[in-house]
Amino acid sequence: MSGDSLPLALPLSRFATGACEVTDLYRELREPLLRYLVCLGLSRDEAQDVVQDAFLSLHRHLASGRSEENVRGWVFRVAHNQARNRQGSYHRRFGEPLDLEIDVRLDETTPEGLVLEKEKLRRLRQAITLLSESERECLLLRAGGLRYREISEVLGMATSTVGDTIERAIRKLAEKCNV
Amino acid sequence: MAWLDRELGNDEMVELERHIGACSECRSRLESYKHSSATFDAYCDAVVSAQTHRRRVPRWVPVLSTAAAAAITATVVLVLLRARVETPALPRPVPVQVQAHRSAVVLENVPAPTPAPGKTMHRPRATTPGTLRQTANWQPTERAIQISIPADSMFPPGAVPQGVNFIVDLSIAADGSAEQIRLRPRLMEVQRRQP
Repeated sequence: MSGDSLPLALPLSRFATGACEVTDLYRELREPLLRYLVCLGLSRDEAQDVVQDAFLSLHRHLASGRSEENVRGWVFRVAHNQARNRQGSYHRRFGEPLDLEIDVRLDETTPEGLVLEKEKLRRLRQAITLLSESERECLLLRAGGLRYREISEVLGMATSTVGDTIERAIRKLAEKCNV
Repeated sequence: MAWLDRELGNDEMVELERHIGACSECRSRLESYKHSSATFDAYCDAVVSAQTHRRRVPRWVPVLSTAAAAAITATVVLVLLRARVETPALPRPVPVQVQAHRSAVVLENVPAPTPAPGKTMHRPRATTPGTLRQTANWQPTERAIQISIPADSMFPPGAVPQGVNFIVDLSIAADGSAEQIRLRPRLMEVQRRQP
Protein backbone atom coordinates (compact mmCIF):
# COMPACT_ATOMS: atom_id res chain seq x y z
CA MET A 1 0.00 0.00 0.00
CA SER A 2 2.34 2.71 1.12
CA GLY A 3 5.59 2.88 -0.72
CA ASP A 4 8.86 4.37 0.41
CA SER A 5 9.64 7.90 -0.58
CA LEU A 6 12.37 8.78 -3.02
CA PRO A 7 15.58 10.28 -1.80
CA LEU A 8 14.65 13.68 -0.61
CA ALA A 9 16.95 16.04 -2.42
CA LEU A 10 17.10 16.02 -6.22
CA PRO A 11 19.22 18.96 -7.32
CA LEU A 12 19.58 20.15 -10.86
CA SER A 13 23.07 18.85 -11.39
CA ARG A 14 22.10 15.32 -10.53
CA PHE A 15 18.89 15.51 -12.52
CA ALA A 16 20.55 16.92 -15.58
CA THR A 17 23.54 14.64 -15.64
CA GLY A 18 22.04 11.47 -14.35
CA ALA A 19 19.75 10.31 -17.11
CA CYS A 20 19.42 7.00 -15.33
CA GLU A 21 17.97 8.67 -12.28
CA VAL A 22 15.44 10.54 -14.35
CA THR A 23 14.43 7.36 -16.08
CA ASP A 24 14.03 5.60 -12.76
CA LEU A 25 11.96 8.45 -11.41
CA TYR A 26 9.69 8.40 -14.43
CA ARG A 27 9.32 4.63 -14.31
CA GLU A 28 8.47 4.71 -10.65
CA LEU A 29 5.92 7.50 -10.75
CA ARG A 30 4.33 7.09 -14.17
CA GLU A 31 1.92 4.24 -13.43
CA PRO A 32 0.83 5.51 -9.99
CA LEU A 33 0.26 8.92 -11.51
CA LEU A 34 -1.75 7.49 -14.39
CA ARG A 35 -3.80 5.40 -12.00
CA TYR A 36 -4.51 8.35 -9.76
CA LEU A 37 -5.48 10.64 -12.65
CA VAL A 38 -7.72 8.06 -14.31
CA CYS A 39 -9.45 7.40 -11.02
CA LEU A 40 -9.94 11.12 -10.66
CA GLY A 41 -11.93 11.04 -13.87
CA LEU A 42 -9.50 11.77 -16.67
CA SER A 43 -9.31 9.62 -19.74
CA ARG A 44 -6.18 7.58 -20.35
CA ASP A 45 -4.99 10.00 -23.03
CA GLU A 46 -5.65 13.01 -20.84
CA ALA A 47 -3.84 11.35 -17.96
CA GLN A 48 -0.80 10.68 -20.13
CA ASP A 49 -0.76 14.29 -21.23
CA VAL A 50 -0.94 15.43 -17.63
CA VAL A 51 1.89 13.09 -16.62
CA GLN A 52 4.10 14.42 -19.40
CA ASP A 53 3.28 17.98 -18.45
CA ALA A 54 4.04 17.22 -14.82
CA PHE A 55 7.47 15.84 -15.62
CA LEU A 56 8.13 18.74 -17.95
CA SER A 57 7.28 21.06 -15.09
CA LEU A 58 9.60 19.09 -12.84
CA HIS A 59 12.38 19.49 -15.37
CA ARG A 60 11.83 23.25 -15.58
CA HIS A 61 11.61 23.48 -11.83
CA LEU A 62 14.93 21.74 -11.36
CA ALA A 63 16.50 23.48 -14.33
CA SER A 64 15.78 26.80 -12.69
CA GLY A 65 18.21 25.85 -9.93
CA ARG A 66 15.71 24.91 -7.28
CA SER A 67 15.69 21.61 -5.49
CA GLU A 68 12.78 19.64 -4.20
CA GLU A 69 12.91 17.52 -1.13
CA ASN A 70 9.70 15.62 -1.70
CA VAL A 71 9.79 14.86 -5.40
CA ARG A 72 6.90 12.38 -5.35
CA GLY A 73 4.62 14.76 -3.54
CA TRP A 74 5.69 17.61 -5.81
CA VAL A 75 4.97 15.69 -9.02
CA PHE A 76 1.64 14.44 -7.68
CA ARG A 77 0.67 17.95 -6.66
CA VAL A 78 1.49 19.36 -10.10
CA ALA A 79 -0.43 16.56 -11.79
CA HIS A 80 -3.32 16.99 -9.40
CA ASN A 81 -3.58 20.71 -10.13
CA GLN A 82 -3.30 20.21 -13.88
CA ALA A 83 -5.96 17.54 -13.74
CA ARG A 84 -8.22 19.87 -11.84
CA ASN A 85 -7.69 22.55 -14.45
CA ARG A 86 -8.57 20.39 -17.40
CA GLN A 87 -11.11 17.96 -16.09
CA GLY A 88 -14.74 18.67 -16.51
CA SER A 89 -15.32 15.06 -15.72
CA TYR A 90 -14.12 14.98 -12.15
CA HIS A 91 -17.47 13.93 -10.81
CA ARG A 92 -18.28 11.83 -13.84
CA ARG A 93 -16.12 8.82 -13.13
CA PHE A 94 -17.83 7.58 -10.03
CA GLY A 95 -21.25 8.16 -11.49
CA GLU A 96 -20.71 5.97 -14.52
CA PRO A 97 -22.04 2.43 -14.74
CA LEU A 98 -19.58 -0.16 -13.59
CA ASP A 99 -20.52 -2.91 -15.99
CA LEU A 100 -17.54 -2.39 -18.25
CA GLU A 101 -15.04 -2.25 -15.43
CA ILE A 102 -16.43 -5.30 -13.71
CA ASP A 103 -16.54 -7.31 -16.91
CA VAL A 104 -12.95 -6.45 -17.63
CA ARG A 105 -11.81 -7.44 -14.20
CA LEU A 106 -13.93 -10.45 -13.50
CA ASP A 107 -14.17 -12.21 -16.82
CA GLU A 108 -12.61 -15.39 -15.49
CA THR A 109 -14.70 -15.89 -12.37
CA THR A 110 -17.66 -18.19 -11.98
CA PRO A 111 -21.11 -16.77 -12.64
CA GLU A 112 -21.94 -16.75 -8.95
CA GLY A 113 -18.69 -15.07 -8.08
CA LEU A 114 -19.22 -12.57 -10.85
CA VAL A 115 -22.61 -11.61 -9.51
CA LEU A 116 -21.32 -11.28 -5.96
CA GLU A 117 -18.33 -9.25 -7.03
CA LYS A 118 -20.49 -7.00 -9.17
CA GLU A 119 -22.80 -6.39 -6.29
CA LYS A 120 -19.92 -5.64 -3.95
CA LEU A 121 -18.34 -3.15 -6.34
CA ARG A 122 -21.70 -1.58 -7.07
CA ARG A 123 -22.22 -0.91 -3.40
CA LEU A 124 -18.69 0.35 -3.09
CA ARG A 125 -19.27 2.74 -5.97
CA GLN A 126 -22.36 4.08 -4.27
CA ALA A 127 -20.40 4.50 -1.06
CA ILE A 128 -17.59 6.30 -2.89
CA THR A 129 -20.01 8.81 -4.33
CA LEU A 130 -21.08 9.66 -0.80
CA LEU A 131 -17.54 10.48 0.30
CA SER A 132 -16.37 14.05 0.43
CA GLU A 133 -13.93 15.25 -2.15
CA SER A 134 -11.00 15.36 0.26
CA GLU A 135 -11.80 11.88 1.55
CA ARG A 136 -11.89 10.53 -1.97
CA GLU A 137 -8.66 12.21 -2.95
CA CYS A 138 -6.90 11.02 0.19
CA LEU A 139 -7.96 7.45 -0.51
CA LEU A 140 -6.86 7.69 -4.13
CA LEU A 141 -3.47 9.11 -3.24
CA ARG A 142 -3.05 6.47 -0.55
CA ALA A 143 -3.93 3.81 -3.12
CA GLY A 144 -1.28 5.39 -5.34
CA GLY A 145 1.35 4.59 -2.74
CA LEU A 146 1.86 7.99 -1.19
CA ARG A 147 2.65 8.42 2.46
CA TYR A 148 0.57 10.66 4.68
CA ARG A 149 3.20 13.37 4.53
CA GLU A 150 3.17 13.34 0.73
CA ILE A 151 -0.60 13.37 0.61
CA SER A 152 -0.63 16.35 2.91
CA GLU A 153 1.68 18.18 0.52
CA VAL A 154 -0.41 17.33 -2.53
CA LEU A 155 -3.68 18.39 -0.97
CA GLY A 156 -2.31 21.16 1.20
CA MET A 157 -3.49 19.87 4.55
CA ALA A 158 -1.84 18.76 7.76
CA THR A 159 -0.45 15.27 8.05
CA SER A 160 -2.60 14.50 11.05
CA THR A 161 -5.64 15.67 9.11
CA VAL A 162 -4.72 13.29 6.33
CA GLY A 163 -4.63 10.39 8.78
CA ASP A 164 -7.99 11.31 10.25
CA THR A 165 -9.52 11.79 6.82
CA ILE A 166 -8.33 8.43 5.58
CA GLU A 167 -9.54 6.64 8.68
CA ARG A 168 -12.93 8.34 8.41
CA ALA A 169 -13.24 7.48 4.73
CA ILE A 170 -12.35 3.83 5.25
CA ARG A 171 -14.78 3.59 8.13
CA LYS A 172 -17.54 5.02 5.91
CA LEU A 173 -16.81 2.53 3.18
CA ALA A 174 -16.78 -0.34 5.65
CA GLU A 175 -20.10 0.73 7.13
CA LYS A 176 -21.91 1.46 3.88
CA CYS A 177 -20.56 -1.45 1.93
CA ASN A 178 -20.77 -3.82 4.89
CA VAL A 179 -17.58 -5.42 3.69
CA MET B 1 -5.50 3.07 9.90
CA ALA B 2 -2.25 4.81 10.75
CA TRP B 3 -1.02 1.58 12.30
CA LEU B 4 -2.15 -0.33 9.23
CA ASP B 5 -0.31 2.09 6.96
CA ARG B 6 2.76 2.03 9.21
CA GLU B 7 2.59 5.77 9.72
CA LEU B 8 3.23 5.63 13.47
CA GLY B 9 6.47 5.72 15.31
CA ASN B 10 8.15 2.58 16.50
CA ASP B 11 6.96 2.84 20.08
CA GLU B 12 3.37 3.47 19.04
CA MET B 13 3.49 0.64 16.55
CA VAL B 14 4.65 -1.83 19.19
CA GLU B 15 2.13 -0.65 21.71
CA LEU B 16 -0.79 -0.82 19.29
CA GLU B 17 0.28 -4.20 18.02
CA ARG B 18 0.23 -5.52 21.54
CA HIS B 19 -3.25 -4.09 22.08
CA ILE B 20 -4.62 -5.53 18.87
CA GLY B 21 -3.35 -8.93 19.80
CA ALA B 22 -5.37 -8.78 23.00
CA CYS B 23 -8.51 -6.92 21.79
CA SER B 24 -10.84 -8.90 19.57
CA GLU B 25 -12.99 -5.86 18.78
CA CYS B 26 -10.03 -3.88 17.45
CA ARG B 27 -8.87 -6.95 15.56
CA SER B 28 -12.27 -7.29 13.93
CA ARG B 29 -12.33 -3.60 13.06
CA LEU B 30 -8.84 -3.86 11.63
CA GLU B 31 -9.90 -6.75 9.39
CA SER B 32 -12.87 -4.75 8.20
CA TYR B 33 -10.59 -1.81 7.34
CA LYS B 34 -8.21 -4.09 5.49
CA HIS B 35 -11.07 -5.53 3.49
CA SER B 36 -12.46 -2.10 2.63
CA SER B 37 -9.04 -0.87 1.61
CA ALA B 38 -8.46 -3.88 -0.60
CA THR B 39 -11.88 -3.48 -2.20
CA PHE B 40 -11.17 0.16 -2.90
CA ASP B 41 -7.87 -0.76 -4.52
CA ALA B 42 -9.66 -3.37 -6.61
CA TYR B 43 -12.17 -0.79 -7.68
CA CYS B 44 -9.39 1.57 -8.76
CA ASP B 45 -7.74 -1.23 -10.70
CA ALA B 46 -11.05 -1.98 -12.42
CA VAL B 47 -11.50 1.67 -13.37
CA VAL B 48 -7.99 1.90 -14.77
CA SER B 49 -8.33 -1.40 -16.60
CA ALA B 50 -11.61 -0.36 -18.15
CA GLN B 51 -10.16 2.96 -19.23
CA THR B 52 -7.21 1.16 -20.78
CA HIS B 53 -9.35 -1.33 -22.69
CA ARG B 54 -11.90 1.20 -23.73
CA ARG B 55 -11.95 1.53 -27.49
CA ARG B 56 -10.16 4.63 -28.53
CA VAL B 57 -11.61 6.64 -31.37
CA PRO B 58 -9.00 8.62 -33.27
CA ARG B 59 -9.54 12.33 -33.18
CA TRP B 60 -9.86 12.55 -36.96
CA VAL B 61 -12.83 10.17 -37.05
CA PRO B 62 -15.50 12.64 -35.88
CA VAL B 63 -14.04 15.36 -38.11
CA LEU B 64 -14.06 13.06 -41.13
CA SER B 65 -17.59 11.87 -40.35
CA THR B 66 -18.86 15.43 -40.14
CA ALA B 67 -17.15 16.38 -43.40
CA ALA B 68 -18.56 13.33 -45.18
CA ALA B 69 -22.06 14.05 -43.93
CA ALA B 70 -21.79 17.66 -45.08
CA ALA B 71 -20.55 16.60 -48.52
CA ILE B 72 -23.37 14.10 -48.95
CA THR B 73 -25.94 16.66 -47.89
CA ALA B 74 -24.54 19.26 -50.29
CA THR B 75 -24.56 16.74 -53.14
CA VAL B 76 -28.16 15.77 -52.52
CA VAL B 77 -29.24 19.41 -52.34
CA LEU B 78 -27.44 20.25 -55.58
CA VAL B 79 -28.95 17.27 -57.38
CA LEU B 80 -32.42 18.19 -56.21
CA LEU B 81 -32.00 21.83 -57.21
CA ARG B 82 -30.70 20.87 -60.62
CA ALA B 83 -33.56 18.47 -61.22
CA ARG B 84 -36.02 21.15 -60.19
CA VAL B 85 -34.57 23.62 -62.68
CA GLU B 86 -34.40 21.24 -65.62
CA THR B 87 -37.73 19.50 -65.24
CA PRO B 88 -40.58 21.39 -66.91
CA ALA B 89 -43.38 22.12 -64.60
CA LEU B 90 -46.10 19.96 -66.01
CA PRO B 91 -49.49 20.27 -64.43
CA ARG B 92 -50.71 17.12 -63.00
CA PRO B 93 -53.66 15.50 -64.66
CA VAL B 94 -56.68 16.46 -62.70
CA PRO B 95 -59.94 14.67 -62.57
CA VAL B 96 -62.64 16.45 -64.50
CA GLN B 97 -66.02 16.49 -62.98
CA VAL B 98 -68.58 17.20 -65.63
CA GLN B 99 -71.97 18.06 -64.36
CA ALA B 100 -73.67 17.04 -67.51
CA HIS B 101 -77.23 17.36 -68.52
CA ARG B 102 -79.49 14.39 -68.38
CA SER B 103 -78.92 13.68 -71.98
CA ALA B 104 -75.50 15.15 -72.45
CA VAL B 105 -72.70 12.97 -73.63
CA VAL B 106 -69.06 13.29 -72.62
CA LEU B 107 -66.71 12.68 -75.45
CA GLU B 108 -62.97 12.60 -75.34
CA ASN B 109 -60.73 14.20 -77.92
CA VAL B 110 -63.29 14.14 -80.58
CA PRO B 111 -62.66 16.66 -83.29
CA ALA B 112 -66.25 17.01 -84.26
CA PRO B 113 -69.44 15.20 -83.54
CA THR B 114 -70.75 12.95 -86.18
CA PRO B 115 -74.25 13.90 -87.10
CA ALA B 116 -76.71 11.17 -86.73
CA PRO B 117 -79.97 10.79 -88.58
CA GLY B 118 -82.88 12.55 -87.07
CA LYS B 119 -82.53 14.19 -83.70
CA THR B 120 -80.20 11.65 -82.29
CA MET B 121 -76.92 13.31 -81.62
CA HIS B 122 -75.44 10.68 -79.39
CA ARG B 123 -72.32 8.95 -80.32
CA PRO B 124 -72.42 5.19 -80.11
CA ARG B 125 -69.75 5.10 -77.42
CA ALA B 126 -71.43 7.57 -75.18
CA THR B 127 -71.09 7.06 -71.48
CA THR B 128 -73.40 7.73 -68.65
CA PRO B 129 -73.99 11.30 -67.53
CA GLY B 130 -71.76 12.72 -64.83
CA THR B 131 -68.89 10.47 -65.59
CA LEU B 132 -65.56 11.24 -63.98
CA ARG B 133 -62.94 11.37 -66.65
CA GLN B 134 -59.20 11.57 -66.52
CA THR B 135 -57.45 11.57 -69.86
CA ALA B 136 -54.08 9.98 -70.12
CA ASN B 137 -52.61 12.23 -72.75
CA TRP B 138 -54.01 15.40 -71.50
CA GLN B 139 -52.50 18.51 -73.02
CA PRO B 140 -53.46 21.84 -71.57
CA THR B 141 -53.23 23.66 -74.90
CA GLU B 142 -55.58 21.34 -76.70
CA ARG B 143 -59.26 21.02 -76.47
CA ALA B 144 -59.82 18.51 -73.78
CA ILE B 145 -63.46 17.59 -73.93
CA GLN B 146 -66.08 18.13 -76.50
CA ILE B 147 -69.65 17.76 -75.50
CA SER B 148 -72.51 17.36 -77.88
CA ILE B 149 -75.80 18.61 -76.41
CA PRO B 150 -79.13 18.23 -78.11
CA ALA B 151 -80.72 21.60 -78.73
CA ASP B 152 -84.07 20.63 -77.29
CA SER B 153 -82.43 19.95 -73.94
CA MET B 154 -81.39 23.61 -73.60
CA PHE B 155 -84.16 25.47 -75.39
CA PRO B 156 -87.91 25.18 -75.38
CA PRO B 157 -89.41 23.05 -78.07
CA GLY B 158 -89.62 24.96 -81.29
CA ALA B 159 -87.19 27.71 -80.26
CA VAL B 160 -84.41 26.18 -82.24
CA PRO B 161 -84.99 25.17 -85.82
CA GLN B 162 -84.70 21.56 -86.60
CA GLY B 163 -81.28 20.58 -87.69
CA VAL B 164 -79.45 23.04 -85.46
CA ASN B 165 -77.10 21.60 -82.93
CA PHE B 166 -74.52 23.04 -80.56
CA ILE B 167 -70.95 22.11 -80.06
CA VAL B 168 -69.50 22.93 -76.64
CA ASP B 169 -65.81 23.57 -76.30
CA LEU B 170 -64.84 23.19 -72.70
CA SER B 171 -61.41 24.18 -71.43
CA ILE B 172 -60.44 22.84 -68.04
CA ALA B 173 -58.07 24.81 -65.83
CA ALA B 174 -55.29 23.18 -63.83
CA ASP B 175 -57.35 23.22 -60.67
CA GLY B 176 -60.15 21.30 -62.37
CA SER B 177 -62.52 24.19 -62.85
CA ALA B 178 -64.05 25.11 -66.18
CA GLU B 179 -61.84 27.74 -67.67
CA GLN B 180 -63.77 28.46 -70.83
CA ILE B 181 -67.06 27.22 -72.26
CA ARG B 182 -67.97 28.07 -75.81
CA LEU B 183 -71.16 27.13 -77.61
CA ARG B 184 -70.91 26.82 -81.33
CA PRO B 185 -74.15 26.38 -83.27
CA ARG B 186 -73.98 23.89 -86.04
CA LEU B 187 -76.42 23.29 -88.79
CA MET B 188 -77.02 19.68 -89.38
CA GLU B 189 -78.25 18.21 -92.57
CA VAL B 190 -81.88 17.28 -92.53
CA GLN B 191 -82.50 14.04 -94.14
CA ARG B 192 -85.32 14.07 -96.41
CA ARG B 193 -87.92 11.44 -96.19
CA GLN B 194 -87.81 8.90 -98.84
CA PRO B 195 -90.79 9.07 -100.98
